[in-house]
Amino acid sequence: MNNLMMIMNLKKSGIMKFKISNEIKLSLPSLLWLLVFFMIPTVIVVLISFKNPDPFGGIGVGWSINGFSDIMNSYFAVILWRTVKLSLLTTIICLLLAMPVAIYMAKADAKIQNLLLLLIVIPFWTNFLIRIYAWKTVLHPEGFLKKIFFTFGLVPENGSLLYNEGAVLLVLVYAYLPFAILPLYTAIEKFDFRLIEAARDLGSGAVRSFVKIFLPGISQGIISAVMVVFIPALGSYVIPDMVGGPDGEMLGNKIAQMVFIDRNLPKGSALSTLLILAVILPGLIRIFIKKSNLTEAIARHKRPKVMQ
Amino acid sequence: MQKTKTLLITSILILTSLFSGCAPEKKELYIYNWSDYINESLVKRFEDENNCKIILDYFDSNETMYAKLKAGAAGYDIVFPSGYMVNVMEKEGLLLKLDHTKIPNLKNLDEKYTPFSLDENQEVSVPYMISNTGIGYLKSKAGDNFEPSWNIFANSKHRGRMTMLNDMREAIGAALKYLGYSINTTNIMELESAKKVLIGWKHNLAKFEADQYKNGLVSQEFYFSQGYSGDIYQVMSENKDIGYAIPKEGTTLASDNMVILKTAKNTELAYKFINFMLDGKVAAENIEYIYYLAPNKEAYQYLSDEIKGNPAILMPDEILKKCEAMSDLGEKNELYSKIWDEVKAAK
Repeated sequence: MNNLMMIMNLKKSGIMKFKISNEIKLSLPSLLWLLVFFMIPTVIVVLISFKNPDPFGGIGVGWSINGFSDIMNSYFAVILWRTVKLSLLTTIICLLLAMPVAIYMAKADAKIQNLLLLLIVIPFWTNFLIRIYAWKTVLHPEGFLKKIFFTFGLVPENGSLLYNEGAVLLVLVYAYLPFAILPLYTAIEKFDFRLIEAARDLGSGAVRSFVKIFLPGISQGIISAVMVVFIPALGSYVIPDMVGGPDGEMLGNKIAQMVFIDRNLPKGSALSTLLILAVILPGLIRIFIKKSNLTEAIARHKRPKVMQ
Repeated sequence: MQKTKTLLITSILILTSLFSGCAPEKKELYIYNWSDYINESLVKRFEDENNCKIILDYFDSNETMYAKLKAGAAGYDIVFPSGYMVNVMEKEGLLLKLDHTKIPNLKNLDEKYTPFSLDENQEVSVPYMISNTGIGYLKSKAGDNFEPSWNIFANSKHRGRMTMLNDMREAIGAALKYLGYSINTTNIMELESAKKVLIGWKHNLAKFEADQYKNGLVSQEFYFSQGYSGDIYQVMSENKDIGYAIPKEGTTLASDNMVILKTAKNTELAYKFINFMLDGKVAAENIEYIYYLAPNKEAYQYLSDEIKGNPAILMPDEILKKCEAMSDLGEKNELYSKIWDEVKAAK
C-alpha cells in the first residue's frame, strides 16, 4: 500500500515537472515577443520621458522632469477629463448593449449561435480605417441621415452630425461593441441558468436574482469586457482624429501632436507614461480581484471537505 | 539524381549571373521628394538625355525625412526639404556646399521670391517651388462679392462647415496676419491677442484638419478651408465649385528646396539634375503639372493663360508684400505650442 502510494507520488511529481518545463518552453516564444516588442519599448518610452528635448526634435542630454511638469496644467486636465469621460461612457453603453445580445446568443440554438458569432466577426474583415471612414459618409452633412434629421428639425440646415463629441462617442461604441459582446457571451454560455430558476423558486424576484445570482456568476466576463473596451478607448487616436471636432481631442491626439508637431519627444513620452500607468492600474486591480476570487474558491472548495 | 540537381542549380546560377552582367552599367540618381511634387515626364526626359536611371522615393513630412536620414539612411543624392528643415540639416552638417559654376541656370531664379528661402544666397539649397496658404472655398456658398479675408472664420453663418489647418504655426499665423502682425512674432502681447481671435474662430470650425479638408471641399462637407495652394488646385478638377483665394491681409509663403547631401554618390549628376529643373521650359512644364510656382523668371513666358492669370499662383505685388516665410523659431517654438494648447483646450 505504502509502496503504491510512493510510486503514485513519484509519478505525479514527474508529471508535474514535465508540465512545468513544457509550460515554460511553450510560452517562451510569446514571452520573448512581449519582452522585445512590448516591455523594452515601454521602458524606452518611460526613460525618454525623463530626458530633455533638443530643438531639432530629438532627445537632448541630461535628465529632467520637465516633461511631466509641462503637461500638468489646466488644458491637460480638460483633455484628461474628456478622455476618461468618453472612455467610461463608451464602456457603459457597450456593456448595456452587449448584455442582451450576449444573453440571447448564449441561450440560442447552436445554429443561430454560430450565425450570430459570424455576423459579429464579419465586420473585422473590413479594415478598421475604412469602417471609420464609412461613418464619415453616413454622418456626412450633405448625407441622407442629416437630411432626415433636418426635415424633423433636429439639426440646423448648415449643421453637421460629424465633428462633435457625440460623433466620437457613437463611433467609439460602434468600434468596441464586438469586444464587449464576445467575453460576455463566453461567460454567460458557461453560466448555469438553473441557478436562476432555483433562486426564483426560493422566492427571489426577477431583478434580485439577476443582480444577486446572474451578475456575480458572470463577473469574470464583465471584468474582461470592461478591460477590453475601456483600455483601448483610453488610447483612442484615429476615431477622435477623424470624426472629432476642434473640441474632440483625446490623450492619443495630444501625444501625436507633441511628437509630430511640437517635436518634443520627452513631453509626448511623459504623457504616454501617464497613459500606460492609467492602463496598468485596472490591470492590477483585475489581477487582485482574480486572486481574491481564487482564494475564495479554494476556501469554498475546502470547506465541504472539512465537513466530511 | 542528387548530382543532376546540383548541376542544374549551378548552371542556372552561372547563366543568371552571365545575363545580369550583360546589362550596361547605368548611372543612378536617388531622389527623395514629397509625393505628387514633380512632373514625372520630366524625370523620364532627364533619364533619356543623360542615359541614367532616377530612383524616386517619397516622404510625407520633413520630420519623417529627417529622422530617416539621421538614422543613417545613405544613398540619397537629392532631397527636397522645406526652408526650416534646410536650416536644421545644415546645422547638422548633412548638406553639400553648392558650387554655383555647376548650376548656370541659377540666373533664372526670380529675385522677388528668393528672399522667402531662408538660404537666400543658395549656399546649400536651391528654391524649387513656392507654395502659399490660403482659403479654399465653395463659390456657391461664398457668393459673388466674396472678399477673401482671414476673418471669414468669424462668420457664424457657416458654423461647423469650415476648417483651419491642424498646424499651430499656420493657424496662429492666420490670426496674427489678420491682426497685422508678423507670423514669426515672439511678442507675448501679439500672441495673446492672436490667441483670442483664434479661439473666437474655433467655435465656428468643424475641426482643425491638415489633410482631409480637400476631400471635404470636394464632397461639399466644408465651405471654407484654410489650406495649401497646391492641395486645393489639385482637387479643383473634381468639383468645379471650388475656388481658392489669398486673404487680403497676406499669408505665409513657403519655399521647398533642392539640396545635395554630403553623402551623395553621384554629385555631378545631381548638379545636372538641379540645373535641368531650373531650365525655364522645364520649370514651366512642372508648374503646369503640380500647380505650385517655381520661382523662375524664364518660365513665366511659357505658362498657359490660365496659370498666368491666376493671382493665387502668380501673386500680385501688393499682396506679395504682405506675405512672409516662416522661420524656425528654435526654442521660442514653445511660445506657440503653449498658445496652441490653450486654443485647443478653450471652451
